[in-house]
Amino acid sequence: MLPFTSSGSKMTPRHHVSGYSNGYPRGNTFEISPHRFTPRGTTPSFRRRRRLLLRLGIIAAISVLCILYFRGGSGSVLSLFSLGLFSSKDDFQLETVRYYDLSNVQGTARGWEREERILLCVPLRDAESHLAMFFSHLRNFTYPHHLIDLAFLVSDSKDRTLDVLVENLEAIQADPEDLQHYGEISIIEKDFGQKVNQDVESRHGFAAQASRRKLMAQARNWLLSAALRPYHSWVYWRDVDVETAPFTILEDLMRHNKDVIVPNVWRPLPDWLGGEQPYDLNSWQESETALALADTLDEDAVIVEGYAEYATWRPHLAYLRDPYGDPDMEMEIDGVGGVSILAKAKVFRYGCHFPAFSFEKHAETEGFGKMARRMGMSVVGLPHYTIWHLYEPSVDDIKHMEQMEQEKLARETEEKEKAEKARKMKESFGDTMNQWEKDKTAIQDMALQEKEAKDEPLEELPLQNKKLKGEARQQQGSGAEKADRR
Amino acid sequence: MARTMGPVRLKKTSPTTVAVGAALCIFILYFLLGSSTSDFSASRKATAALHPLSPPTSPFRQSTSGGKPKPPPVMRYNLNNVTITGNPVENNENILVLTPMARFYQGYWDNLLQLTYPHELITLGFIIPKNREGNAAYAELDKQITKTQKFAPEKDRFKSIIILRQDFEPPLSSQDEAERHKMQNQMPRRAAMAKARNSLLFTTLGPATSWVLWLDADIIETPPTLIQDLAHHDRPLIVPNCFQRYYNGEKKKMDERPYDFNNWQDSPTAQKMASEMGADDILLEGYRDMPTYRTLMAYMEENGGDVHQEVPLDGVGGTALLVKADVHRDGAMFPPFSFYHLIETEGFAKMAKRLGWQATGLPNYKVYHYNE
Repeated sequence: MLPFTSSGSKMTPRHHVSGYSNGYPRGNTFEISPHRFTPRGTTPSFRRRRRLLLRLGIIAAISVLCILYFRGGSGSVLSLFSLGLFSSKDDFQLETVRYYDLSNVQGTARGWEREERILLCVPLRDAESHLAMFFSHLRNFTYPHHLIDLAFLVSDSKDRTLDVLVENLEAIQADPEDLQHYGEISIIEKDFGQKVNQDVESRHGFAAQASRRKLMAQARNWLLSAALRPYHSWVYWRDVDVETAPFTILEDLMRHNKDVIVPNVWRPLPDWLGGEQPYDLNSWQESETALALADTLDEDAVIVEGYAEYATWRPHLAYLRDPYGDPDMEMEIDGVGGVSILAKAKVFRYGCHFPAFSFEKHAETEGFGKMARRMGMSVVGLPHYTIWHLYEPSVDDIKHMEQMEQEKLARETEEKEKAEKARKMKESFGDTMNQWEKDKTAIQDMALQEKEAKDEPLEELPLQNKKLKGEARQQQGSGAEKADRR
Repeated sequence: MARTMGPVRLKKTSPTTVAVGAALCIFILYFLLGSSTSDFSASRKATAALHPLSPPTSPFRQSTSGGKPKPPPVMRYNLNNVTITGNPVENNENILVLTPMARFYQGYWDNLLQLTYPHELITLGFIIPKNREGNAAYAELDKQITKTQKFAPEKDRFKSIIILRQDFEPPLSSQDEAERHKMQNQMPRRAAMAKARNSLLFTTLGPATSWVLWLDADIIETPPTLIQDLAHHDRPLIVPNCFQRYYNGEKKKMDERPYDFNNWQDSPTAQKMASEMGADDILLEGYRDMPTYRTLMAYMEENGGDVHQEVPLDGVGGTALLVKADVHRDGAMFPPFSFYHLIETEGFAKMAKRLGWQATGLPNYKVYHYNE
């Protein structure tokens, strides 16, 4: 029963065609429904104008985007639309402002737990031959490598120090093992030339030594001032020619939580020189004698420790070593040696440095120790914690060794001659022995032939008694036995 | 569904709606991109460091893409090529402007912005104490820095800016001028100041700096060519004369008076006083209780005199002071202890002298101090 599907029905449809299904009639009630077809009330000219506006709008939008893209030059607009999925090649922003709170980088006893950064400073000069050894130490440090920043100063080098250094460092940073990678690596090149050597500070006979120390101090200061950053908590100075040191040396020194701390430095020696020897004599405690001596010297004089000319009678860290002593034992010192110094970065931040002038009659690392004390810092040495400096024979040692070498050579030639003589003697003795042997065999042969000659007539008479023959054989056998025994 | 079939149209969009929409889109786009448009030209990008672990005197590349960070590269810096000459603009010499800041003065920042030395060669370094006053100074400084580095035209933006917060307490709570200048407060105050200066200097100097300009936070007026003018003399240490503008009640008009008394030439009286002092005592300048009879540069000024006139100095002040970076690299610092009975900037001049660098003063070249 579908009444209004039959179009040809004469029945009036139940629903009015112009009405809505809700049954409300349509007509002269107020029209509030939006669902109503409104015929276009616009004229074609208006439509054309609007189309033109739309096109203009699109062109404007595209040109704005283009301008943004080209002026910006970076992929920021692109990445905005691609939601950063397709990053362009130089995908970085420039950061020009850096903020650091220095109270976060004070340095504590357990720095590796608080991720404290260490600046490792290494002054280099014609050190190519030591680099391989140094890098083997570098690979073995147990302190997290990414927290260590390396800084090298290469000055006035005539060998391939720089090239070898760069090769080694790049190899470390390219190591497949992530734990080997170090933090920031800076190589500072600066030639100081012979400037200081030309200084006139004679009269004291120590001109060469003093100016050498001042030059080294200058090099250290240049290195530090170029490499120290606001994020460093510690600074570790290490000479490249340390032969043996514990891999944990950074942690070991840090645990003491001192402003400046140095281990004892010795060096191994060849057996003929006694096996070992204190090396670094620049770590010492101040003495009355030395203070009195300092007062007598003029402003630019530098007291250099470890030379007989200045008898200071200071207690040296090096001489207090007991191989079986407690390695954690501390000793207050006033001058420090530069082979291996661990210092809190704040020591250097507050202005302490390696005086390249005579500071309280000292320069370089000794002056550094003095200045740190002057500024109220703790300066400590560990008499029983020892690292070993490379043994490089001195001129005297080389002479001595040459002498020894010659002696050895002389001894060797002597021995050779002896051996030769013995050989010759042996040879001549051996000849007679041979002769003897020959003679002996000849005699034996002759004896045998004689015997055989005796036997032959018996064989020529076969008809004679066979017993006789057997006896003769026995005789022959015993004769051979006798010959053996002889 | 019961409604009549046919084209449905909600409402006719008026052109104003389209226009407003488009404007809004551009507005949103601008801010989306604007937040990251501290974009720099290619030449500035080329000088940027490759890694955040780098000398702070240059900007660094902040990678916006994720992924595993690469280990820092091996960087070589040849300090033989860092020139320090009397013509720094032509030789593209980098200058580090260092300011210990306890209070922020808008005049200081405005003066800094109007310096004509190319801003892409200027790195600013600040050290601010960690107390309430310091926090306030930092907040205001940060606002100005953001304004300049993010929204100003590129030629006004500085190469790099370093802000440090001090790791020790300032010995005095008050920064008031009267309290600050009391004689018994001077030794600890200046020792702390020296430590702050050294901390700022040695962590920011880096391998590329040619000149260091020490400029106090309360210097509010200098000639715009300050850096070029001072560098032109090509002296290891050079100081202009520091004055202060004030209202002269007698003359009923603005006038100026000498301010910085730390620029001086030594006198026999002062040396005699020093030789009789204890090892840790210091000589101070500008106090009636301690007449040193030193020749002060502050009083050498002649109105209308030659601005290029030079005088040798034995002690310098730090209000404005241009130093060749090599002087600091050799180790010359601001002693926070009694060094030849001198401390801070005065001790610095002495230490530089011990290292073979002589200080020079320009009595007729003036900069102006803020007046409280």
